[in-house]
Amino acid sequence: MRRACRMPLAVPVLFIALALMASRAAAEDLIFTLSSDRIRITSDFRGVDLVAFGAIERDAETVSRGAGYDVVVVMRGPPETLVTRRKARFAGIWINRASRTFPNVPSFYLASASRPLADISTPAILKRYQIGPENLAFQALGGPDEDSAFRDGLIRLKADAGLFEVAESTVSFPGTSVFKANLSIPANVPVGDYVVTAYLFRDSAMLARQSLTIRVSKEGFERLTFDLAHRYGYLYGLLCVVLALFTGWLAGIIFRRD
Amino acid sequence: MQIYLPIAELPVNMFLIFGMGGAVGFLSGLFGVGGGFLLTPLLIFSGIPPAVAVASTTAQVVASSSSAALTYWRRRLIDTKLAAVLVVAGVIGSSIGVAIFSLLRRLGQLDLLIAVGYVTFLGFVGSLMLAESIRAMAHIRRGRPLPLRRPGRHNWVHGLPFKMRFRRSKLYVSVIPILGIGIGIGMLGALLGIGGGFILVPALIYLLRVPTSIVIGTSLIQMIGTMAVATILQSGTNHTVDGVLALILMVGGVIGAQFGARVGAQIRGEQLRALLGLLVLAVAIRFLVNLVLPPAEIFSLATLSGDAR
Repeated sequence: MRRACRMPLAVPVLFIALALMASRAAAEDLIFTLSSDRIRITSDFRGVDLVAFGAIERDAETVSRGAGYDVVVVMRGPPETLVTRRKARFAGIWINRASRTFPNVPSFYLASASRPLADISTPAILKRYQIGPENLAFQALGGPDEDSAFRDGLIRLKADAGLFEVAESTVSFPGTSVFKANLSIPANVPVGDYVVTAYLFRDSAMLARQSLTIRVSKEGFERLTFDLAHRYGYLYGLLCVVLALFTGWLAGIIFRRD
Repeated sequence: MQIYLPIAELPVNMFLIFGMGGAVGFLSGLFGVGGGFLLTPLLIFSGIPPAVAVASTTAQVVASSSSAALTYWRRRLIDTKLAAVLVVAGVIGSSIGVAIFSLLRRLGQLDLLIAVGYVTFLGFVGSLMLAESIRAMAHIRRGRPLPLRRPGRHNWVHGLPFKMRFRRSKLYVSVIPILGIGIGIGMLGALLGIGGGFILVPALIYLLRVPTSIVIGTSLIQMIGTMAVATILQSGTNHTVDGVLALILMVGGVIGAQFGARVGAQIRGEQLRALLGLLVLAVAIRFLVNLVLPPAEIFSLATLSGDAR
């Protein structure tokens, strides 16, 4: 009887202990929202500043740790397959020779951080969560390359184009548990569905993260033209020719000299 | 004023592009050429992807050629039958050109082809033009009349079979050289985004002996037809014609051409040809420098279909 009584008692104790441990692990939580859920590319598009607002939530048991939080907000563009080519001298001129194909490269990558990434967490953790362009997991087709020059070249070119970027000190904390991240989106941002993830760090440990999606799309005339050119290329070409003939004809009439 | 180009997918300064179109239009009016060979390089060197630059200039050439052709049409200075044969050949040529264009784009060698194409053709044509005009200027300085080429005189071209009669040009020649010229110009047009007038006009005069009075009007019709088809093919297969870019260039181009033509009427022919020769050579040298000098960045990025990234 006593034995039978003890067993049922041990089970709830274990559950409570587990629940306590679980809640301790998720003592901090993170919620955030974006100033816009859509980026519209119109003919006057020159880039846009997106703001991510968020709050760090603690449950009742967790003691306030005061300052010391770090937040990284990462915006990733839809994946694309890229070919990196390397020029070499051939018969006196520089031409593209060797190449590597990289599937699943984020077309856009922006990390907005409260401090330099190296100060926020360890290289291993940053690599695990793919924070920072050099920590992205994409690899050349046919396995990792012993020669990292092509991967480095890709990251460098993307960075030069403003499509891979780490913006340090762009996350601020207006209150102890409120953060605000400024995401500066360049004009050449690729279209598609983006994932924005906010990561909460403290003492190098990743405490919580949350993801949102945002769509970047061409709108109005830009969208119409792009869709027409890609879906009905021949018709679009024909329209361009008609436009050209009309412009030429009109100029011939306006500037008629004889 | 910045404007976002829907196909090139980048913002450009509208007035800069308009200015480029106008400046090239001025030169094309001055020299009586289409100006594609200047416009495409200008766009490439200002950061427009080469594939978009070539294809959009193709549309611009249609506009500038049709504006000029209108005058010749009113004066009946066009051999329609010869133009029709040239257009048919040009369409064949531009279809081949667009196919090569797509293939090289996927292989990542399109930029190389454009650069090498510009260096060789412009280098060759520019040198010929410059040499010819200097010779003409030397003759005039010595007070001797230029050795005249008579349109009626025959050369090896006139011995070829499959002859055809062209009443308007007073010609009875083989279709082989006509088709050859048309196909060649069509290919060049699609690959390099040039109308090819500066090659077509001398070829028609010196090879076929087409009378000079109708050669320009006829070659303009060939350019309109060939480049119109090239535009449609580029758009259908490579999706690289940027209508917004082309429209800004067209408007700038046709306005600039009017002023150019007025200035051109006051300069002597051989001097104009020498200037044009120099300009053509300068563009060739610019491309050559890029090919030979070690590039600042040896890596480049593209998608599988060849879009620059």
